[in-house]
Amino acid sequence: MLSGIGGSLLQIGLDLNSIFYVVSLLVFVAYGLYAPRIQVWFALNEIGRGLTRLKVMKDKARKETIDYLTTTGKAPKDPTERVDQFLDYITIMPVDIDPNGIVGKIDHVVTTRDDRVRQEVGTIVGDKSPVTVSVSENLLEAATALNTIHKIVRHFYLLGKKTNSYFLLVQLQMLMPMIIQEADALVSAVDTFKLAQPLGDGIGAVIASRYMVGREKQTIAKDTVLAVNEYKGRKLYVVKAEGPMAYVGQPGVGIRHVIEEMGVKPSAIIMIDAALKLEGEKTGEIAEGVGAAIGGIGVEKYQIEEVAAKHKIPIYAILVKQSILEAITAMRKEIAEASDKVMTLLNRVIEEKTKEGDDILIAGIGNTLGVSQ
Amino acid sequence: MIGSKSVVEKKVKYTVFTIEECPVDGQKTKREFQVGDYITKDGAKCTKCGNQTRISLIYAETAKPPK
Repeated sequence: MLSGIGGSLLQIGLDLNSIFYVVSLLVFVAYGLYAPRIQVWFALNEIGRGLTRLKVMKDKARKETIDYLTTTGKAPKDPTERVDQFLDYITIMPVDIDPNGIVGKIDHVVTTRDDRVRQEVGTIVGDKSPVTVSVSENLLEAATALNTIHKIVRHFYLLGKKTNSYFLLVQLQMLMPMIIQEADALVSAVDTFKLAQPLGDGIGAVIASRYMVGREKQTIAKDTVLAVNEYKGRKLYVVKAEGPMAYVGQPGVGIRHVIEEMGVKPSAIIMIDAALKLEGEKTGEIAEGVGAAIGGIGVEKYQIEEVAAKHKIPIYAILVKQSILEAITAMRKEIAEASDKVMTLLNRVIEEKTKEGDDILIAGIGNTLGVSQ
Repeated sequence: MIGSKSVVEKKVKYTVFTIEECPVDGQKTKREFQVGDYITKDGAKCTKCGNQTRISLIYAETAKPPK
């Protein structure tokens, strides 16, 4: 081959243009042959940088959690070992080929996990105040989530490196900005949790609390409270998680309790929640619609839809738009200021969709940290 | 595609404020958040009518804390 190239060089002459032409040709051929390897090299570099950032974030969350348990939580013993054990805590979801439905099983597994976490935290901290325990739970969950993200990314990074898999690495490289964004939101949430400040996700709880202040409260499900109020001749049954703890409660169980055990026949269920905005949408924008406005794993949503469909109760939704970062960090001014507009909209929905003498169920959904009732 | 640009937003420093509202005359007072504050917690006496205020909002904004 080389003698061929040499021959060609002699034929076309050794001027600079010809050399440049041959070199370009060689580079082009080499790139064609080695492009995937070059891409792999770039991908490995970029993922490696992201992985370092993820490690810093997960170490920070772990350290902050240990600090909180020691200082605010007044842990009698060094909690480091227990926290490290907890970071690898696994929840095994039920088998999904069950034809009888798996929501009940998921509910059971998730409730068991939540109880276990609370029990675990209760044994670590010396200060057993509900706010401290709930904040510790949330901190542990954030640290666990970051640990899991780091481990999964590291797994695919090492697997891609080991197998030199171009497609695996390029997919991971493309996902890295979104993964980092989510991890960044989680690590920012740690500071908000530690100070027990209301989260953006708590906007539903803020609205519900306005109807509950000064009213008698009763517990209707785990970490979930109900208060009864009146508005223009309608009776309002207002449900939210019990604040100011960092609880999300069990609104599904709570709503079912109100309808099926307390015998209330609401003519409407109105749910207020935070919703993830799309890129381009403004923080604090309000959207109105129908359907169960609740996130999470789907158990609560299923329970609410089930009871509403069974009793033919319409569900109306009011959503306040925000990003994932804004949802799990201190409530932004734009979100807080949307609360007055949400109140106006909520009152309008009540007036338009119901009549005097009706019962209405209002559910303020979301983490109620820093929002009492 | 050789490298993808990070979409992580530049970190902005936020200060968290607490709004105390008088339930009688609606007078609002803004102050910096203190650990232990929560929405519906009793605040200071209203500067206008002397009634007990209540924390109505807690939020983060980019502005500098009030002097």
